[in-house]
Amino acid sequence: MQKTRSFHRKKTVVIFLFCFAALVGLGGRLAALMVADSEYYATLAQDLHERERTIKAARGRILDRNGTVLADNRTVCTVSVIHNQIEDAEQVIEVLCRELEMEEETVRKRVEKVSSIERIAKNVEKEKGDRIRNYELAGVKVDEDYRRYYPFGSMASKVLGFTGGDNQGIIGLEVKYEDVLEGIPGKILTLTDARGVELEDTGESRQEPVDGNDLCISLDYNIQQYVEQAAYKVMEQKEADSVSIIIMNPQNGEIYAMTNVPEFDLNDPYTLQSGNDGLAGEELQDALNRMWRNGCINDTYEPGSTFKVITASAGLEAGVVSLNDQFSCPGFKIVEDRRIRCHKVGGHGGETFVQATQNSCNPVFIEVGLRLGVERYFEYFRQFGLNEKTGIDLPGEAATIMHKQENVGLVELATISFGQSFQITPVQLATTISSLINGGIRVMPHFGVRVKSRDGTLLKVYQYEQERRILSEETSETVRYLLEQVVDGGGGKNAYIEGYRIGGKTATSETLPRSANKYISSFVGFTPADDPQVLGLCVINNPQGVYYGGTIAAPVIREIFQNILPYLGIERAEVESETES
Amino acid sequence: MRFKPGKTDGLLLAAVLFLTGFGLVVLYSMSAYNGQVRFGDAAYYFKKQFFAMTLGMAVMYGVSRIDYHALERLAVPAYLLSLLLSGAVLLVGDTYNGSKRWLSLGPLSFQPAEYAKPAVILLLAAMVSRMEKKKSVIMILSVTGMVLPIVALVGTNNLSTAVIILGIAVVMIFISNPRYLPFVWIVLCGSGLLGIFLSLEQYRLERLAIWRHPEQYEKGYQTMQGLYAIGSGGLFGRGFGNSLQKLGFVPEAQNDMIFSVICEELGLFGALLLMLLFLLLLWRFMVISTHAPDLFGSLIVAGIMGHIAIQVILNIAVVTNTIPNTGITLPFISFGGTSVLFLLAEMGLALSVSRWSGG
Repeated sequence: MQKTRSFHRKKTVVIFLFCFAALVGLGGRLAALMVADSEYYATLAQDLHERERTIKAARGRILDRNGTVLADNRTVCTVSVIHNQIEDAEQVIEVLCRELEMEEETVRKRVEKVSSIERIAKNVEKEKGDRIRNYELAGVKVDEDYRRYYPFGSMASKVLGFTGGDNQGIIGLEVKYEDVLEGIPGKILTLTDARGVELEDTGESRQEPVDGNDLCISLDYNIQQYVEQAAYKVMEQKEADSVSIIIMNPQNGEIYAMTNVPEFDLNDPYTLQSGNDGLAGEELQDALNRMWRNGCINDTYEPGSTFKVITASAGLEAGVVSLNDQFSCPGFKIVEDRRIRCHKVGGHGGETFVQATQNSCNPVFIEVGLRLGVERYFEYFRQFGLNEKTGIDLPGEAATIMHKQENVGLVELATISFGQSFQITPVQLATTISSLINGGIRVMPHFGVRVKSRDGTLLKVYQYEQERRILSEETSETVRYLLEQVVDGGGGKNAYIEGYRIGGKTATSETLPRSANKYISSFVGFTPADDPQVLGLCVINNPQGVYYGGTIAAPVIREIFQNILPYLGIERAEVESETES
Repeated sequence: MRFKPGKTDGLLLAAVLFLTGFGLVVLYSMSAYNGQVRFGDAAYYFKKQFFAMTLGMAVMYGVSRIDYHALERLAVPAYLLSLLLSGAVLLVGDTYNGSKRWLSLGPLSFQPAEYAKPAVILLLAAMVSRMEKKKSVIMILSVTGMVLPIVALVGTNNLSTAVIILGIAVVMIFISNPRYLPFVWIVLCGSGLLGIFLSLEQYRLERLAIWRHPEQYEKGYQTMQGLYAIGSGGLFGRGFGNSLQKLGFVPEAQNDMIFSVICEELGLFGALLLMLLFLLLLWRFMVISTHAPDLFGSLIVAGIMGHIAIQVILNIAVVTNTIPNTGITLPFISFGGTSVLFLLAEMGLALSVSRWSGG
């Protein structure tokens, strides 16, 4: 047998030392991975192992100015199945079909689908969810959830708006104040193996959801109720297409009520009043969009004679007309080559500016417009804020549709002067007139007033700037006097309530095309005339029969005022003012 | 001349027993999930491994009791048998996980490549000690010529094992020759050939790219999962049995990647302790080899040292993504009955040699 030699032993040691060095090097590499890079890999691994289930946060409520809840949440259930935990698929399918009243085919498809978790139905009523849970079927999960609920159904539907399947706002205040109302969803984190099966005994970490905050709005439930009743009444009586009414505080822009009848059911917003039969796809969506439209802000119209308030304000402010100026109305006015008729064919004859306003005499207002001239008229148009949107806190406000200044000749100016040939939204008109009569300060119409947490802690008070003067105090006072005369003895006399000083202006405008003989009747009124606290605008679209604003729209505002003035604490004045008229 | 048999190397025996025990426990922890998922039996892998280890213990004891000199005459037939078996597996082998590596014998299956390792160690030890008088160049060439057939046979379907066998041969030839310089050339030429070999096929270059940036390739999945496991271990690990990565994330956690999950459960300290244990093993081999009464015994133990060292180093290097991914198991720990059986047989050999050592 060969003996080992010294070089054999030496080389064996060399090999060992080489291995030793290699292992030390690998130990170093390991230390680098497990200490220096540990966090990096551990985080990646954590992401891999964790499955996240979200817990919905309760959406904030919407409260009216007195704390009445207008939009609330109701507990509903989401039913899902976890495929690889199901033991008796047939029983699961049978029970779910029966309890959820779903078609077997649909349920079977979802139950048999190989996925980690499959949703069967959302927004299941709580009692149904509890019943399903009581079957204790393996693999069936019933999670509680919140669903938006509107206690008053269709009330103020177009203002409040509604939410979609994921509780997100779709229209109205629900979408405008999404960031206030939506909460922060919570999370349940569980560990799973590579197949997605949750591991037991690893403990789940739970991140509690943060509920959304409550939004307090200026809308008044009682006033809104009166206003909607009044709107429905006149719509039915006059067989009108729709009726829009805005009641607001002219001093600060708070809106007490806004309706657009017909309203729709907020708890079932996807069903048309006439039923969804025969409509599908785009057609149905268009019909729904029409139903959801808030005419007060989304649609424009020719304001007609109510716009004479603007012409009068501009004329008085510029000094081109004063209350006692004498005019003569032959029943028409010739502007350039056009003969523009007054609504009274025989003419109003001789009249002061006050009387002309009472009579809503077109030739006189054309004259005032012409005295101002195109440039100055447009300057006031802009100054009064008519060129911009009002900035109301509802989505989709329509912009004013107005002539370009350079295209306006005297004929166009004449028609603009009595409110024709351009379009604005009802809320723009109500806001502008509010600003002209409140002393001359432009207000921003709004609903949002305060944000409170669920436990009532005040979190935020919305501020609306009110610094822009658009009219002098004196002219504003004159305009108020002028409009009070319209109700006291002019075309707005149907809005008169004994004991109240009411100002207002009527309008009757014909819609385009003129040949269709469709009219829009409207009335804007405010009270008390010396210190306006409330302003109302009523717009009746396409009434049948008598269509004069003074005859059909003014009584609507009178009726509403009669009901809400005592409620708002606006007392009847002593009847001393009667001596004046 | 003959030595009287002395005492077995107690330290080596203790280290081997500890490693096998530890390996068995760790294997149960690592394989329980896969066993449950695939075979409905958490102990599926454990039972098979336990059976092989029990058998291996008996073999180790038996081998350690015999005079290893008796094996010298068996070296050539044993080697021829390994050639035969490796040839047979190409023809009638069973395929598992896409590789044709198993021979079935009733309920038992057997991996000839594992048997080839000790066969080559024995053959080289015997040949080198016989040819000691010959010129070194002739010896190197003839010995290399002898192992090439088995390397070629095994290499056709199990490249990693072929590389290990070649590595063992290089280590043994290195030790048998007094010179250093030729081996530097061998290593350089080997690297050059490896480079050419790699660049011949696109998919091998891709393997390199995956090695550099495993996170960017789908095929880097296994590597990344191993790194996740190692990284999430930290200093002290998640605790025994608490690995998450073994739950199907690290594919075949009980096989090549087992070390990564050990890191995850036992942390840096556990992993370093295990490496220290392997180092202890290698140190004992060195001591036994250098104290062996003759060249044959010395080379046997040196070959075993080379075998264990190559597998441990390459396995840990792969798991830590220090070198490109290749399938090499961790001795005593990874699942594999044949592997454990022959590893324990080799331990028996080393113990036998230790009994004849002068010390």
